[in-house]
Amino acid sequence: MATSKLAAAARRNEFIANTIVVVLAIITLLPFLWFVVMSFKPADDIFAGIDGFFFKPTLENYTSLWSDRFASSMMNSFITSSVSTILALLIGTPGAYALSRATMKQERTMSLLILASRMAPPVAFAIPYFLVYRYMGLLDTRLGLIIVYLTFNLALVVWLMRNFFDGTPRALEEAAWIDGASLWKTFMVIVLPMSGPALVTTAILCFLYSWNDFFFALTLTRNNAMTAPVEVVNFMNYEGWEWGKIAAGGTLIMVPVLAFSLLMRKYLVAGMTAGAVKG
Amino acid sequence: MSAVEVGNRGRSGPGSARGVYAKAGVLPVFEKQRQRFFWLLLAPVLAILGVVTLLPTLYLLITSFTPLNLANPATAWDFSDPLVNYRTLLTDDRLHNSLWVQAKLSLVTVVLQLLFGLGIALLLNVRTPLMNALRTSFLVPMVLPPIVVAIIWKVLYSPDISPAWWLFQVLGWNIQTPITNAAWALSAIVVADTWEWFPFTMLIILAALAMMPEEQREAAVVDGASTWQLTWYITLPYLKQTLMVAGLFRLIDSIKTFPLIYILTDGGPGSVTEVSNYYIFVQSFSFSYIGYSSAVTMVLLAMIVVLSWVIVRAVSGGSNGDQ
Repeated sequence: MATSKLAAAARRNEFIANTIVVVLAIITLLPFLWFVVMSFKPADDIFAGIDGFFFKPTLENYTSLWSDRFASSMMNSFITSSVSTILALLIGTPGAYALSRATMKQERTMSLLILASRMAPPVAFAIPYFLVYRYMGLLDTRLGLIIVYLTFNLALVVWLMRNFFDGTPRALEEAAWIDGASLWKTFMVIVLPMSGPALVTTAILCFLYSWNDFFFALTLTRNNAMTAPVEVVNFMNYEGWEWGKIAAGGTLIMVPVLAFSLLMRKYLVAGMTAGAVKG
Repeated sequence: MSAVEVGNRGRSGPGSARGVYAKAGVLPVFEKQRQRFFWLLLAPVLAILGVVTLLPTLYLLITSFTPLNLANPATAWDFSDPLVNYRTLLTDDRLHNSLWVQAKLSLVTVVLQLLFGLGIALLLNVRTPLMNALRTSFLVPMVLPPIVVAIIWKVLYSPDISPAWWLFQVLGWNIQTPITNAAWALSAIVVADTWEWFPFTMLIILAALAMMPEEQREAAVVDGASTWQLTWYITLPYLKQTLMVAGLFRLIDSIKTFPLIYILTDGGPGSVTEVSNYYIFVQSFSFSYIGYSSAVTMVLLAMIVVLSWVIVRAVSGGSNGDQ
């Protein structure tokens, strides 16, 4: 008797806990869902108050974006994010491998440096970069943004890839050396091929960080190299608030981000705590 | 010595190759080659990291000793009174106010994010398909681009398009939007920031919970401990260090808060939501007082380095830093 009572109580507790979690999840998602739904609303219904709750979905907000400068800003976002990511991987991966295999004394200093470069507020870099770029003519160029994005991407690549190399066995490399392969060849033929998945994960994180950047694009670009996040905010400053377009633009910016990050949520924490916590 | 044997030894840990080659008698040449090779790989990344991060920081430090104002080019390399900016910041009321706003915002958001993160992590810490699906939905706010989060909350706080205000209208309540109200603007930012970042603390806590050893809990269950007792006496003490690290991370990150304030309140009304980071942005990119804002940035950077150092210590020094 007592056990069945206990079991019933446990079931009831579980039901209550589940209900609470489901309700909280819905509350958490509502603001986001509202925004996405808004991007499919005709302009009239956006302002129609409660009467606009039911509406005929339309793509007009999206189509009006493509006749706009928004397309070129998406292109800028894509090019600057991917080029900076590729550069960071090319430069950072060999260095991360060396850091993992060589015996280092300044372990803690390294951690602190990487952590500090991730923690520094963007404005600390934006001011000197702004001054130098003004002088060098790199303001409002894609190259300028690509270089600035290296400030956080390089540190991220070094940290994540070194963690990965730390966890891989050295046996294969040593066997290759014994067989007479050069150090460089061993790195290219043995080490790199087995790093594929780690490289992809790191690349996605770097891409997302660059894609999400708002501050650098706001301060270091004006027109030509302006990225999508800044362009969407510009819709707010034009005459009359074009909420439909803002919602559509915002939705387009977050689609790749949502898809990638939910696919690899396991690695999210490793990326965000780079420098302090080994993933 | 066969390659297999070398392989087995190699697995035993760092530096083992050294021993192998020492015995084989090829150490000096090969080891030197190896070290040179590693430096060759490391040199480009160190050089470029130095150029893109250390040089700008140095430049920032240098400009902080000048009264540089973009409207007046002659001020660029004027070191006649190097500490002028640092003296100014001691008496700058608007800066002091911004630090106070920052302290309030950081403390309240970190505490709220730890509470929500912990609460939801504890509820979610069951391996059922439903919970796994829900975990993912809780992550959405954190992975959205920060600028989109800011716009979402701008929508929610704009009475003419916000579903909340439609509801208020139906109920006959006349409520002013908090973002233009000096008494509520900071709270509005706190709500949005908490929504955006509680998933971060939740994720870190969930990761720690997944590693929690079962024995203690099982022993306590056998002894008839209730769920509350289990949580209070076993789970929470176990999570102490995790909570501290997650809190420190959020604390440092909260110093960077920008898009929310830029979009929602623009630092206003007045300066009630103007945090230090935002104040620097206004001084440098709106007023062009580069020299002065560099000095303020240096102070902020110093604070961040100290906090980062605390994190590195906390993580490497702790006994259960095994996330």
